[in-house]
Amino acid sequence: MSSPISPTCARPEPALSRREIMVVGAAGLALAGLPASTQAATPPALAELIARVTEGAVPERARITFDIPQLVENGNSVDVAIQVESPMTEADHVRWIHVIAEKNPFPDVARFHLGPRSGRADIRATLRLATSQKVVAIASLSSGSYVMADADIVVTLSACIDGG
Amino acid sequence: MASFNARITMPAEAKAGEIVEIRVLVRHPMDRGGQVDSEGRVVPRKILNRLTVTYAGEPVFRYDMHTGVSANPFVSFTTRAVETGDLLFEWREDGGATFTRTARLVVT
Repeated sequence: MSSPISPTCARPEPALSRREIMVVGAAGLALAGLPASTQAATPPALAELIARVTEGAVPERARITFDIPQLVENGNSVDVAIQVESPMTEADHVRWIHVIAEKNPFPDVARFHLGPRSGRADIRATLRLATSQKVVAIASLSSGSYVMADADIVVTLSACIDGG
Repeated sequence: MASFNARITMPAEAKAGEIVEIRVLVRHPMDRGGQVDSEGRVVPRKILNRLTVTYAGEPVFRYDMHTGVSANPFVSFTTRAVETGDLLFEWREDGGATFTRTARLVVT
């Protein structure tokens, strides 16, 4: 996935900067068609983001522990821990765990691929959170079903500022 | 990046069947693109986008990273000790560069 970060986080607009619009406006050109292209795309609804990962299936809220601080001082590095109850055998294991932060410029944050060799479904990582939001962890099981857990996080220092 | 600094923390030996925890910390800015540096230039996106781990040749873990992963990314995961062998860690960076490290696990 090589898509650049969305304009909601990027300061200089790749398409049209505010200055360029001013110049265009001053030149007396019609602005009617322009503002739409400069607006940040609204992130798709969370349900849609989940459905895209699970290929339409609705994950069950069970057997997954999502450990993330409820109040985050610095969104640049947020410790998360995810455990899924699973015997992790050839027949019954977690295939992957996917993390979605709906209000991040790029909501798909990370994916951890596991397997029977993992022994346990138990991962930790450090992520970025752009703003206060709901963060979702979805696990894909070898049975073809999905489980999920979510958490509402308050971020006091956003990761979406310069120098972070 | 001239130097690639990775710290892999795991036991040197384990009993067969034991589940070992492996912790990996890498020094990397994980530039997500669009930031402006001190001289007003836009920093292009450059992140480590994947870490794959094989154990005695068998893939045991993969971490797909996007722009939402922190700078100096840390990850921990587990694997079951099955045989004495090397764990090979391979990172892939935007632009195609790869970095590898190995760590040996002795199974008793």
